[in-house]
Parts: sequence; structure tokens; C-alpha cells
Amino acid sequence: MELANTLSQDGESRRGVLAHLERLETQVSRCRKKLEEPQSAQAVESALGTRIHELRRLRDKLRAEVKQHQARVKASTTNVEPDQTLEITEQEFLKRKRENVKAILQAYRFTGISGKLTSRGVCVCIGTAFEGNLLDSYFVDLVMQKPPQIHHHSIPVFIPLEEISAKYLQTNIQHFLFTLCEYLNAYSGRKYQADRLQSDFAAFLAGPLQRNSLCNLLSFTYKAEPEGQSFPFCARLLYKDLTTTLPTDVTVTYQGTDALSTTREEQRAAHENLFFTKPLHQVFTSFASKGDKLDMSLVS
Amino acid sequence: MRRELAGDVGRRTILKIPMTEMMTILKTWNFLSENQLQTVNFRQRKESLVQDLVLLCEENRASLKDAALLDIIYTQFHRHQKVWDVFQMSKGPGEDIDLFDMEQFKSSFKKILKRALKNVTVSFRDAEENAVWIRIAWGTQYRKPNQYKPAYVVYYSQTPYAFTSSSQLKSNLPLLGQALTIASKHHQIVKMDLRSRYLDSLKAIVFKQYNQTFETHNSTTPLQERSLGLDINMDSRIIHENKIEKERVQRVTQEIFGDYPQPRLEFAQYKLETKFKSDLNGGILAEREEPLRCLVKFSSPHLLEALKSLAPAGIADAPLSPLLTCIPNKGMNYFKIRDK
Repeated sequence: MELANTLSQDGESRRGVLAHLERLETQVSRCRKKLEEPQSAQAVESALGTRIHELRRLRDKLRAEVKQHQARVKASTTNVEPDQTLEITEQEFLKRKRENVKAILQAYRFTGISGKLTSRGVCVCIGTAFEGNLLDSYFVDLVMQKPPQIHHHSIPVFIPLEEISAKYLQTNIQHFLFTLCEYLNAYSGRKYQADRLQSDFAAFLAGPLQRNSLCNLLSFTYKAEPEGQSFPFCARLLYKDLTTTLPTDVTVTYQGTDALSTTREEQRAAHENLFFTKPLHQVFTSFASKGDKLDMSLVS
Repeated sequence: MRRELAGDVGRRTILKIPMTEMMTILKTWNFLSENQLQTVNFRQRKESLVQDLVLLCEENRASLKDAALLDIIYTQFHRHQKVWDVFQMSKGPGEDIDLFDMEQFKSSFKKILKRALKNVTVSFRDAEENAVWIRIAWGTQYRKPNQYKPAYVVYYSQTPYAFTSSSQLKSNLPLLGQALTIASKHHQIVKMDLRSRYLDSLKAIVFKQYNQTFETHNSTTPLQERSLGLDINMDSRIIHENKIEKERVQRVTQEIFGDYPQPRLEFAQYKLETKFKSDLNGGILAEREEPLRCLVKFSSPHLLEALKSLAPAGIADAPLSPLLTCIPNKGMNYFKIRDK
């Protein structure tokens, strides 16, 4: 560098031996450098080569470790899998069992009295039925404190709930529920009979069916043969016992002015007896079937 | 004379009927035949329609009884236009089973009124659930019954409750009470402190029919998953600082008022007659012997729903005063509060 500078500073290329020697010197140093370069390059090369080897070795080592770990994990998961499948089937088994129990609890309402525990006691469901027909259900929500109390209910207001609970609720809940069940079933049964008479046998009725809330007094005018020439009878059914579905008092009267013939009187007495012994709609079913028999006899 | 009166009563009643209900009410009345109704133009102006209908009624020789029946039907459709009181009857102990005969009740009721007051018109109409609607036009010893201010009574057979429209003629109330009691075979009658326009709500309260939700194994809606009024979809960056208190208020409100729709009342009235109470000694009022009297009245289009929403809205503390929450349970919305 210095040589170059001296040359340019003088402004003219130096001739002479000194300058020549200087030139030769720079040449030599350049050559030497050139000679050294491949050596350092070699050194660098070899250094890099060793480095590559090292990295390769490290890579292989890590790869081997990963493989080992994977193999271990696989081994452990294969050990776990059989347990998990066992759990699933156990879960399903419990689920099915729970559903089964739930279904049984739901089906309990067909027994007539069923209940469900609540936060404050129990909610009892009284299902009513008559002649194998399922009718309305009624609920009593009980608070099970030291004196048990009724929280709320769906019992109709004309059922003597207060009377029954005053008698039995504090002392014997079972008796309370059974008595209530009796009253409600009987009411449902009487109502069923009255409804059936009104809907299915309207053709036999000469006027509207008179009834009350408890269906324990029924009054109606009817004909045993709907198209027949016979005069209508008047029936008055009293159900003085609220736990029964059959009347306690029956009066069948004849509305006409002239006296009854003996056959008619026999018929009247027979009808009275029928109303005493058979449910109302069944009596009319028998009237209807007798009518059919009459038709049959006419045809033959 | 009676025919003219019948015509007038009929005309006034028909005039009251809104055009939208005209056909339904006339069909329920069942006094004019299908054919007759078809001859009438229901699209004309109301005045002319009423004239046509009145002519048809005259053709059919409508009696006062028919006009009274139409009046009952109109009132049944518009029961909210009247304010209803509730009476409670009681029997003696150990009474026989009530064998209620509707015809016997009607004739007995009418007989008792007519025996006491010759000038009275009584009409009946049977209604659903074994109930009867009674219309009573009161007169006096010297005056004919006033057909334009009748009283109405609704009675459900074999129950101790009767509902009456608040009549202007309060003097006839004892007689009405007597007729109801004797005809329904009860011994005593007492006016309850319960009054409202909403007859069906009054019925729900006294018949205890307002809470009809029951826990069963068959119910599909789980009781636990009830939205607590806190919006679940709200931004998660918003936190309710008083979440615990809000939940407590919801829980307490639900325990007291339940999940069911509340029966509808328009007001609750509290008459206070109490001596002044103060923590501070002395003061002018502390020595006052006479009790202070004041009247507090809560009004609302739907009082019980409004009370139910007070605590959740943050306007009142939960639980509310039992004086407010006992209303449907006790069947009272008129209270007199005195010192014990």
C-alpha cells in the first residue's frame, strides 16, 4: 500500500533498483499469500468438515432418541387402550341401567299412587282409573316437616280435602293418601259414567242430564228404546257415599198421567234394580243391546 | 208493557255488543234462528244493524226472560267490566254429604228473594264446570225492578264460594247472602277481603288453582336449567360484580312466587291503624295515645307480576314483606293492620 502511495504521490513511476526491489517484494508477498490461501482454505475446509461430521452425529443421535421415545409412547398407549374400552362399556352399562330405573319410576304412575322426592318433601301423584280406563291424575305436594303440610295441590275444590287432611295428615300419611285416593277414584268413576251417558247415549235421553260438581246427584229422563213408542221414565240417582261409584239411592218414576200397566211396572222396578247394581253407561249399553235383540226377533 | 221493557233491555244490550262479537254472542243466545240471522246485513252501520235485530226479536216475541239471558251472555263475555267480590260460606260441623240439585237450588234461591221482595227479577244461565250465573234486577216494595243496574252472582256447585258483581244497592246484600246460603244448604256467609275485575283470577285464588306445576318423573323440562335472568351470551369481558347477590335474589323470588303465572289483581290496599313507634326517645309523636291512620294502596295492571319483578329489578330487597307476598295464599287484597 505504502509503495502504491509513494508512487502516486511522486506523480511519476520510480525507476531505479530500489523501486524494482520494492516491486519484487510486493510480488513475493502476494505469492506467499496465494500460497497460504489454499492452506487456510484447507484448514477452513477441514474445520467445516469436522463440523459437518459432528452435526451429522448429533442429528443421528437425536433421531435415535426420538424413535426410542415414540416406541415407548406407543408401547404405553397400547397398554392403556384395553382399559379405556372397558370404561366405555361400563359407562354404557350404567347409562342403560339408569334409563331403566327412570322408566320404571315413570311407569309407577300406573299403579295409582306414585311420588317424587322434592327439596321440601314429596310430590304425590294420584292417578285415577275406572273399569280399566285411565282417567285424570291429581297431585299433592307435601312438605315433610314435623307436622306434614300440603304446599299446593290440584285436587278439585269440591273434594273434602280439608276434612281428610284434618283427620289423617298429621297422624298417618299413608291413610291420608289412601283415603284421598278412594275419594278421587270414586269421583273420577262417577264423572266417567255421567260423561259416557251424555256422549254415547244421548239418543236415549229425553232431556239434558242434570248433574253437579261431585257427580253425586244425577237426574234424567230416558227411554229404554230410543225410537220406541214407550213413555219416558225419570231416574234420580243419589250417591251418598262419596267413596263409591254405584248409587246409594235410586228412584225411577213414570211421568205419564195414566196408571202403569203391570209390564211397565215390572220394567220400572227392573230398571231401578239395574241402576243400583250396574254402572250407568253399562245399563244403557244393555238397553241398546236389548233393542238389537228386539230387532233381531222382528227380522226372524 | 213488559214486552216494551224487554225490547228496551234487549236493544240496549245489543247496542253494547262490539261488532266483532255480534255474531258469536247472537249464536250463543240462540234466540234468533240461523235463517233469521242470514237475512240481516252485518256489514251495515251499527245503529241500523241494531234496528234490524230488534225488529227480529220483536217478531219472535222476545220476553224479559230472553232479554235477561242476553244480558247474562254479554256480561259473561265482558266479565272484566265488572268488579267482583268474593263471599265464603260455611256449614256446621258434621254435616251430611252435599247432594246438590241445581234445579232445587235455583227454585229455592228465587223463592227466598221473591218472598222478601216482590219486585225482583231473577234469571239463571248454566255455565261450564257445574256453575250457574245469576242475574238479579232489584226493585223495592213500591218500585219495579231496575233492569239497567242488575247484580250478577256466579256460583260453582258444592263449593263454599260465590262471586258477586259489586252492586250499587248495598242494602240488598244481606238478602242476597241469605238466599245464597239457604239455597246452597250452608249456614253462614262472610264477605272476603278480596276484590278484582278478573273473575277467573279470583276463582284461581280461592280454589287454589294458581300453582299447577308439579314435579314428576315424567316431566321432560329439568328444573335446574332455569335461566337466572343473566344473559349467557353476553360478552365474556363483562363480569357481574354482584352475581352472587343477583342469584340469591332470583332464588328467593322463585321460592316465594313460583314458576307459574300469577293470578291477576289490580290493587292491594292496606289500612294502617298503629301507634307511632320510634327508636328515639321523646318527640311529640311518641307520646301520642291515639293511633295514626293511613291508607296505602298499590295499583298495577297486574299487581302480583309487578311485585314479583320488584326484587330482580333492584327496586326492593328480597325477600319482600310477607304483607305483600301473602296475597294469593291468604286470598286477601284488603288488609287492616292494627297494633297487636
